[in-house]
Order: sequence, then C-alpha cells, then structure tokens
Amino acid sequence: MRVPGSSALSGLLARLGSLWSGVFRRADVEAEMREEFRHHIALRTEDLIRHGLPPAEAARRARIEFGHIESHRENACAARGLRLFDRLGVSWLDVKLGIRMLAKYPWLSLVSVAGMAVAIAIGAGGFGIIHALMDAPLPLDEGERVVSLQNSDATNPGSPDRHALHDFLLWREQLGSVRDLSAFTDDVRMLAIPGGGGGLVEVARMTASGFRVARVAPVLGRPLLDEDEREGAPPVIVIAYEEWQGRFGGDSAIIGRTVRLDDAVHTVVGVMPEGFRFPVDHRYWVPLRLDPAADEVGGGPEIWMFGRLADGVSLEQAQAELTTIGRRMATAHPATHERLRPWIRPYTHAFVGVDSPARAWEYRAVQIGLSLLLIVVAVNVAALVYARTAARTGEIAVRTALGASRRRVVTQLFTEALVLSLAAAVIGLAIAEVGFEWIRALATREVGELPFWIDLRLSPVLVAYVLGLAILAGVIVGVVPPLQATGRSVQGSLQRLSSRGSGMQLGRTWTALIVTQVAIAVAALPYALYGAGRFARSAAAVPDYPVDEFVHASFSIAGGAVPAAPDAANEAAIAARFAASAAELLRRIEAEPAVAGGAFASHYPGSEPVGQIEVEGAGTRSSAWFNEVDVDLFTVFDVPVLAGRGFVQADAARGANTAIVDRVFAERVLGDGNVIGRRVRRVERGEDGTGEVEAGPWLEIVGVVPAFTPPPPFESAAPKLYQPLALADARAPLHLGIRMRRGAAPAAFVGRLREAAHAADPALRFVDLGTASQEERGRREGLLALALLIAAVTASVLLLSAAGIYAMMSFTVATRRREIGIRAALGADPRRILTGIFRRAARQLGAGVLAGLVLAEAGMRVAGGSWLRGEGAHHLPIVAAIMVAIGLLAALGPARRGLAVQPAEVLHEE
Amino acid sequence: MPDQAELLPGTLDLLILKAISLGDVHGYGVLLRIEQISGGALTIQQGALYPALYRLEHQGLIESEWGKSENNRRAKYYRLTRAGRRRLGEEEAGWNRLVEAIGAVLRARPQEL
Repeated sequence: MRVPGSSALSGLLARLGSLWSGVFRRADVEAEMREEFRHHIALRTEDLIRHGLPPAEAARRARIEFGHIESHRENACAARGLRLFDRLGVSWLDVKLGIRMLAKYPWLSLVSVAGMAVAIAIGAGGFGIIHALMDAPLPLDEGERVVSLQNSDATNPGSPDRHALHDFLLWREQLGSVRDLSAFTDDVRMLAIPGGGGGLVEVARMTASGFRVARVAPVLGRPLLDEDEREGAPPVIVIAYEEWQGRFGGDSAIIGRTVRLDDAVHTVVGVMPEGFRFPVDHRYWVPLRLDPAADEVGGGPEIWMFGRLADGVSLEQAQAELTTIGRRMATAHPATHERLRPWIRPYTHAFVGVDSPARAWEYRAVQIGLSLLLIVVAVNVAALVYARTAARTGEIAVRTALGASRRRVVTQLFTEALVLSLAAAVIGLAIAEVGFEWIRALATREVGELPFWIDLRLSPVLVAYVLGLAILAGVIVGVVPPLQATGRSVQGSLQRLSSRGSGMQLGRTWTALIVTQVAIAVAALPYALYGAGRFARSAAAVPDYPVDEFVHASFSIAGGAVPAAPDAANEAAIAARFAASAAELLRRIEAEPAVAGGAFASHYPGSEPVGQIEVEGAGTRSSAWFNEVDVDLFTVFDVPVLAGRGFVQADAARGANTAIVDRVFAERVLGDGNVIGRRVRRVERGEDGTGEVEAGPWLEIVGVVPAFTPPPPFESAAPKLYQPLALADARAPLHLGIRMRRGAAPAAFVGRLREAAHAADPALRFVDLGTASQEERGRREGLLALALLIAAVTASVLLLSAAGIYAMMSFTVATRRREIGIRAALGADPRRILTGIFRRAARQLGAGVLAGLVLAEAGMRVAGGSWLRGEGAHHLPIVAAIMVAIGLLAALGPARRGLAVQPAEVLHEE
Repeated sequence: MPDQAELLPGTLDLLILKAISLGDVHGYGVLLRIEQISGGALTIQQGALYPALYRLEHQGLIESEWGKSENNRRAKYYRLTRAGRRRLGEEEAGWNRLVEAIGAVLRARPQEL
C-alpha cells in the first residue's frame, strides 16, 4: 500500500531542515554562501584569462558579470525562506536569552510551562482523536476518492437506513459519478479447517468490486471476481495474510484448499497482503450475493455501500446526482423512501458515527473548543509575563536608548515567550502520546481491532498543529505585553528608571484583569471540581454482587434469519425465533458444568435507562431507572429480597403487572412506610412531539431489593424499578448475565459461549461479550480518567489563576511602594496604610467574587436549574475563599516591604 | 557564436535540474553545462543562478556537499535527490506536452481545419 503524502512529507522535512540551519547556523550558512560566490568568481576569472584577458581585467570583468554579492546573498536567503526571519531579526542569541530567562524565573517558568503543557496536551489529544476519526487519509491508492454512501433518515438523522438492497442495485446502474459501487455486510461465521483448527471469525460478505475499489492485489491467488457472486457459483473465500500465517501455518499450497464456513465448504482462492483489513477490520472475504427478487423495496440485509469517485468528479457533484436519483426513488416508493435522503461522504465517516452533517459540525466544534482552552491559559500566562516584563522596563528603556528598535525589543521578548511555549509544546506532546497509548490499549481491550485507517499517534499533521498552537500562545504571551511595555517615550521610561520605580502604569486595565480573573475562576472552577469529584466517586463505587463470577453478553438476531414476508408477519416471525433461540442458548449454557446459572435482562444491571414514574394517589412524578429482568435474576445475582417477595413465573404472564423496587426507590420515591402493595406507573412523553403524556399500566409493588449496582455519575442515588421479563416479548439486543461456579474462570468461558450461541442458532449475533469484571474495570478506568483529566485541567487553571492574581496584586502594591514609604516617612499610622492597601485589594477581589457568582448562577439558569442551591453550594465558597486568600496574601508581602522602607531612603530616591 | 535564445519564464528550474541530473556539479559548472549543451544558445544570468539553486535545495529537490573542484579549490557540489528526479520527470513530461501542442498548432494547415 502506498504511503500517502510521502513526497509532501519529505519536502516539508527538507524545508524545516533548511530553515533550521538558516536560523540556528546563520553565520555558517552566510560564510558558505560567500565562499561559494568567491569560488564562482575565481573560476570565471580563470576562464576569462584563458580567453586572453589580462588577470586584473579578467577579475574585474568576472566581478561585474557576477553582480552585487550582497543582493545575491539576500535573494538566496529569501529563496531559503529566511526573509521573514531577517525582517523579524530573530537570532540564536534571542533563543539563548529565552532559555536563560526560563532559568532566571524558575517558578514563573514552571507554572507557565505546566499550565500550557496541560492545555496543549488536551488540545493535541482532542485534535488527534478527531483528526484520526474524521480526517485521517485512507491508506489506499487515492484513498481520498473512496466514498461511503447511505440513506439517511430525515426524521432520525442519527440512524441511517441500511436496508438498501434495491437502492444499491439502482445506484450501481444509474450513478455515473461513482465507479465500482460496492457493498458489504458484516458476518460472524464458524470456521472449520479440515485437519483441525478454526473458531468463530468475522467475515466480510463483499461484492467483488470492493477489491477494485481497494486497488490492492493479493499476494497469492486472486481476489473475488464478479463471477463468484452469481447464483450457483462454487463458494470461494479470500483470506488475510496474518490468518494464512497463523491458522494455516503459512501453507504454500493454500490456494485450492477447502474450509467450512458454518455448513458450506469454501475454496480458498486468494491471500491478501500483510496489513490489508479492508473494508474495516476484516480478515476473511466471501462474495456478497444479492437477490432483489427475495426482498421488497426497503428490505433485504443491512449493507454498507462504498465506491470511488469517477475521474474529475467532486463529492458535491456526486451528491447532486445521487440526490436526483433519490428523489425519483422517493416518488416511486413514497412508503419506504419519502423520509430517506441519500448521502455521500468520505469513506471513513460512515464507520465513526458521523451520521449527519450536524454531527460532523459537532466534532469540529469540540476540536475548536479544545484549542480555545489554550488561549484561556495563554492569556493567564501573558498576565504573568506582563508582570515580569514590567519588572524589566528599565532594561528595555536602556536598550531602546542605546539604539534598539521597538521591533527588535518585541522580537526578543517574543522569542523568549516562544521558548516558553515550545517547551510546553514538547511536554504537551509527550503527555498526549501517553494518552494515545492508553486509549489504544483501552480500545483494543474494549472493541478489539480498530478500523485499519485509524492510527492514533503523533502524526506530522498533529505536530504541525501543536507547533501552530505553541506559536499562537507565544504571540499572546510574548507580543502583547512587550508592545505595551515599549509603547512609551524612552525619556519617560529612563526617568522612571532613575527613580527606581516600574515604568508600567496599569491602573484600570490591571483592576479589570484581576476582577475578570477572579470571576472566571469562581464561576468555572466549582463546576469542574464538582464534576471531577462525581466521576471519582462513581469510579470508586463497587457493585454489590459477585462481579468476578459473571460473564456478560448482549446479542441480537440477524435480519435475514427468517424467510422474507410482509413487514408485520416478518417482525413477529423474527421475534418468535429470537425468543426461541435465546431460550435454547440459556438451556445449553445452564447445562455446562462450569455455569451456576444465567438470567436475561433488557439491560445489564447497572446500565438501565432513566424515565419518569408516577405514584398512585400522589399525583407527582419523579425519575427512576427501569429494567425488565428474568424472574430468577435476583437469585442468580445473589441479591436478597428485603421485603415482600421475589418474582415468580406467574409475574411474567401478560397482565400480571407486578414490579420490584430497590431500597432507594422505596425511600426516595415512595417515602417511608410499607411500600408492598402500592402502585406506580411509567409515564412517557408521546412521540408526536405535542408533549402529551402516555401512561403505562399501574404496577403493583411486590418486593424490595437492595441497590446492588452503583448509580450513574452525577446521581447520588438512582431509584430502580424492575419488571418481570417475558422472553416472548423481549426486544433485541437482549442482555445475559451468566454466573460461573466458584473456581471456574469467566474469561475462559467466553469462547465456549460463542460456540453455544452458534449451536443454538447460527443467526444469533453478539453485540457485546466479555467478563463483567472486565467491563467493570473499563467503566472504572474510564471514569477515573475523566476525573483525572478534569482535575488536571482544574489544577492547571487554578494554579495559573492563582499565580496570575498573585502576580497582579503583588505588582499593583509594588508600584505603590514609594507612596507607602513616603506616607510612612511623614508619620502616617502604619495600620491605616495597611488598611488602605487591603481595602483596595479586597474591593477588587470582592468585585471578582461577586461577578463570578453572578456568572455561575446565570450559567446554571441557562442550563436549566439553580445549582448554587444544590451541591455547588459547597464548592463555590471554597474556590472563592482560595482566590480571596491568594489575593490578600499577594498584597501582604509588598505592603510589608513598603512599610519597612526607611523614610531617608525614600526621600533620597525622590 | 550562435544566436542567443530567450529563456522562457519558469524554465530555469527545469534546466538546472537537468544539468545537475547529468552528474554532480558546482554552481559555476551548472552555468557552463547549460551553455555547452545548448551550444551557447542559452545563457543563465549569474545573479539568477544561486537563488534558484538555494530554492531547489530548500524544497528538497537537490542536495549539496562540499568537495574539491578541478583546480583543487573547496567547492560546493550539487546532486539530485529522489524528489528532484521525480520533479524533473514531471517537468520534462510537461514540457514535451507543451512543445508537441505548440508544434501541432504551428504545423496546422488551412485544409486540416
């Protein structure tokens, strides 16, 4: 496979290398240029002498012909892209000065670099993930021209209609702007290799044209051909290189060997090259046979469609053509197609949840939002650097007086800031890489193999993006403060320097910055603290059932499991087969010696959906979490019945209308007292959008169980209501909890479960399968990572805010040091002076806290609620107190130094 | 001395890449090689040569190394990179297409229209 953009990358590297030597080896580069020019002139002189000119005349002619050396040097520098650096006057010396500044102000450097590194890591992480999902090039020849096609549902844009057999055949015939229109379906089949080996494998049933789209030739044999799709053609299979090497031991006579997929014998006709996983993460390919006569319009298997844009056709042109065909289809078949909108988009988007243009925008918004975080942090760092720059006003004034231009001074200070932000960028990238590694490991554990084009690591694009972020941060930190610092007369600055004061008068700007800083911290940080605490608490909560003994599976049934029939009959037939197959699966599993028991549920305990409940006689509604469970689920999960009784088989009969609630439900929804015999019902908003409420039947509570799974994050407790599950009415996917006997490892049973499912009904499809402890670990790690992420961001913002406020307060008081000293010298009461200083600081901090409170309350009202009266009431005063304490502490030091000044010293300074 | 031909705009890079592709050469050698091959018809302005060389090097199409010249002086020698060879091929193909197209137009007769 071709590595896309390799020449562009080598060109970029060459340019960067050339720029690097141009900037950091400037003197050497210029010396080499001059030497090259001298050599040229010498050779020309020798030529002219050979043509008969006297040496002196020849040398003169050669110099004249060559032209002005300095202008050649300048043009040569411009050709190397160094003109910008020439204009700015950036030199290696500036970089060295920047590094020295980092060392000279270690605390400032540490705080700034740490804050920006965290922000850059988050920005890079978000960018990297979204880039990998949405923009990563498909590593195929002209991969950017491979597209996905689908019918989006206008009434439900997030769930495309993939029963598009008839659309596919029509588009393949009529759509000129997409070549080799192809389709595939995902299948899990039982592979049996004669002589031993095999197991359940994921197979792509794909049209032969899919291989033409991929443009990758097999290493052995042939790909699938159109003839293989014809009715009656002998079944064939193409396998991945890794499978050939692994399961087939690299057999050199693999072509022509036969294997069984389920019950059908297939002949191996080809082996694809190493790393080939097209269309997503597949290792086996069989022909997709489509029979339009077997299904009505809007029916057939779920297929994923793709193809290549024809030469010279843009995505927009292809979309226009597809839309026209789609309209004709909607006119011909309004019942099935009126709400469908054909949509064409980059290939990879179909597999990463970009199901609508709105979703694509959401991804972009997240990407931009995460980048904006750095700007907020950079503004904070700028405030810190501002204070440092203010302290260096004298140095700047002297340099200006000695002839340094304003541009030169700003460039030097910008370079210093750039050193700071580049150091943060390097650390930020390292943190991002660690995060990527963690996500890769988590994804591999949770979802198996990732799609073949997703490569979550530090790519050149990501590094370039981070460099861009670092330069932006450098501009914010390094250009704005020096521009203000240098924007005044040299004489004034020098005068102020001679009187040992700082040259920067900040007044209202400074006050506004302090107030804003405190307000943002007070408004935003409590939310973050609250969120991190919630996630951490939720991660620490453990389920109250023997998780380590459970296997969790969720499964559905393949759409084509029953013969085609009109819609309603078809659904009933599928539901009946699903119920029968599920029951058979449970029977087979419970017959296994290692299994203690199994129970179905509409949702696995701990992942129930939330809804509304109404209590009979109370007339009020409250939130509750619902589940439908097998009558013996509580027995299998070792959950005791605290009051009343557990479910019995009769409860699962239609019209029994019984329910069991957990203790949280009993306490929070029903209040104290005896809850057995009380009635509740589920209420839901109707789907017609009018807000009308649809109420379910009244359910009689027959028992109370303890809460045995942790509540979701952001819920202190989740009241739960369980209804008995009737398998005949169960909807796919259905969840199954299997409890192993003591000493039997759940992980070892997963493979056996697959085989049992296949034996029960080959059409059963696992949606999810693993041990409950593995899932629990995934849940805990995910929550903990979120908590850590929020904590890291909060800590860095808090640190920066605190440092910023400290720097600003400290600087404000420091500028009044002489005034304080003189007042003290004139006999003012020190206590009065201190009160004056603190009153001013307290006014600024108070205004900030007040503005923060207003902001927090306004934010919450927009979100619908008043959090200030809830749990936020604990966090808000803490953050406000921290900010006020920091501000007052910052004022204390300089105030004391001011009071300690000797009157004589101050008068002498004056 | 043959008639001097006007150097077409945009062809300097192509000529330099071609001259360097014939063997490692220093800056002055590039000038001489182009003059020699064109029979003196094409002369490169000396002032235009070095910016073009540095630009091509900056783009990664050629690379340089210091060595000894024929008169035993230290000289900077240029050679084509893989990207440079690829670019030369593309530029040559483009040029040939252009020559063919213009030639076809110039050879056209009224009865062919």
